[in-house]
Amino acid sequence: MSVIARWLGPVLLLSGAAFLLSDYHNDVYRKMLLWVALALGYNFLFGICGQVAFSHFAFYGIGAYSVVILLFQFHLPLPLAIVLGVVICVLVALAVAIPSTRLEGFYLALATLALAQLFVVVLNEGGALTGGTSGIANYRLPDIFGVRIRGPWFTAVIVLLVVGTYAVLWRLDRSWFGRACRAVRDNPEAAAAMGVNVARTKVIAFTLTSALAGIAGMVYAFVDNTVNPPIFGIDNAFLLLFMVIVGGAGRHAGAVIGAVLLFLLPFWLSPVVGHHHVLVFGVLVLAAILLQPRGLIGLFDFAKKPS
Amino acid sequence: MSKAILQVRNLTKRFGGLTAVSDLAFEVREGEILGMIGPNGAGKSTTFNLIAGTYSATEGEVQFSGEPVLGLPPHRIAAKGIMRTFQHNRPFGGMPVIENVMVGAHTRFTSTLWSVVAGYSRKEEIEKRRRAEELVDFVGLGDLRDADVTTLSFGQGRLLEIARALAGEPRLILFDEPAAGLTQDELDRLGGIMRGIAARGIAMLLIEHDMHFLLPLAHRVVVLNFGAKIADGLPGEIRADPAVMDAYLGGSHAAA
Ligand SMILES: Nc1ncnc2c1ncn2[C@@H]1O[C@H](COP(=O)(O)OP(=O)(O)O)[C@@H](O)[C@H]1O
Ligand SMILES: [Mg+2]
Repeated sequence: MSVIARWLGPVLLLSGAAFLLSDYHNDVYRKMLLWVALALGYNFLFGICGQVAFSHFAFYGIGAYSVVILLFQFHLPLPLAIVLGVVICVLVALAVAIPSTRLEGFYLALATLALAQLFVVVLNEGGALTGGTSGIANYRLPDIFGVRIRGPWFTAVIVLLVVGTYAVLWRLDRSWFGRACRAVRDNPEAAAAMGVNVARTKVIAFTLTSALAGIAGMVYAFVDNTVNPPIFGIDNAFLLLFMVIVGGAGRHAGAVIGAVLLFLLPFWLSPVVGHHHVLVFGVLVLAAILLQPRGLIGLFDFAKKPS
Repeated sequence: MSKAILQVRNLTKRFGGLTAVSDLAFEVREGEILGMIGPNGAGKSTTFNLIAGTYSATEGEVQFSGEPVLGLPPHRIAAKGIMRTFQHNRPFGGMPVIENVMVGAHTRFTSTLWSVVAGYSRKEEIEKRRRAEELVDFVGLGDLRDADVTTLSFGQGRLLEIARALAGEPRLILFDEPAAGLTQDELDRLGGIMRGIAARGIAMLLIEHDMHFLLPLAHRVVVLNFGAKIADGLPGEIRADPAVMDAYLGGSHAAA
């Protein structure tokens, strides 16, 4: 009962909102929700497990391209395409994580940066399979049991994804696994002495969060019904990092706040400063690091119980 | 006489040309406090790190409960029931006291990752938390259960290390100079806690530089000098052994 109340309430509320929004605002809302899902996963990897990886957004792209290619180039049924898409994300994640997490943190950053760059190169050079520089477009989500999911109903699917992602990460965080991740982040040698298999914990956290990003990417593929290389460029990997830092690394609520704020900021700022909103991001990130390393959620805690 | 829980035989560690531990043999019996003393550089910490799996041995054999453990990585050693504290406290800075202690219980959780995701691990989590709370109380940090570990004093940090090690439900705890840097009050308290641990039937290998702290506490004492064992006996015998006192004080003076 309490479990249902805890997760069903938010699902109904967040998807109910979609039915009140115009088409345009539904589109903005969907993208915002997807950023929230991405930031939640990246917060677990970076904020909780302490892994500085730049591949999270690339896995979003790998998920999106995989499902589109499997569905429309290989003509596989949707459930199979989804399962295979997840398998692809897991295999790529393992291939990156196993060699690099055994080395010091810096090498993970390098390896994942390389992966993110390589991914875009592969997309551009992929010929007919990836659609090259123009990507793949003009497809639509296959019917599910003869029903075409669209409009606010598709937004509801994204809400399910976000709440599901949140629930999984929240439970992991409040378990021996989440504590092991934090211990690895804070002091790997002490963590090992407490019985934590440091390398294994890092690989699991990386693979799991990468797979979650991939699943979000599969949903994203049907938001604009187009996937192309510029969408999955490296700048979004940094935006994700900024979202987590500004919101407050290591806190789920921080990731949500950071993602919503930095996603919406350009909409409010563009009329005022044009494309210079990137500058405002830079200032915000600097301010967070220098003034409030715990991010906006840290400010919120401070306001709640001043001491 | 109770039987040995830890048996160390011809343990040797060379760092390049330097032999830090040389053909060392000793045993820790069930439930006892074995003291290990020796001047600075005698090889105490190296011995400790060999047993804990942090260093790999050049030669030798270590058996825990009759099973060979030498060469296992640190996390496997912990899972076998050997926990340790660090000479310089190493708390998990981003977690409150109680969570730090719960990390110590890591190897005692039985729920799988899948049952965690499915939400079936709540009961175990609550049970382990209750046990961790008891341990926090046992070491006297009850009032600081939810405190940020970065606010603890050095002595409180040492107590946290002990509670964290106990959470792993070990059969042997390795202590590396736990008395270093503590005030007299804290030393008395630490001595009491160690007796309490011994009363729970947990064996301890206590490496210590401070003989005034160690001798009243240890059941037996091993003395190291230049990596080799020079004496092994009851605290009274060690205290009365002129050769031991000579080597120890001589080494101590040289180091000072
Ligand atoms: N990682 C290491 N590399 C090289 N030499 C070391 C290392 N650790 C310890 N030693 C050397 O081994 C000897 C024993 O050191 P140690 O075990 O720390 O002594 P103790 O703890 O008894 O003071 C010393 O001469 C020390 O310099
Ligand atoms: Mg030492």
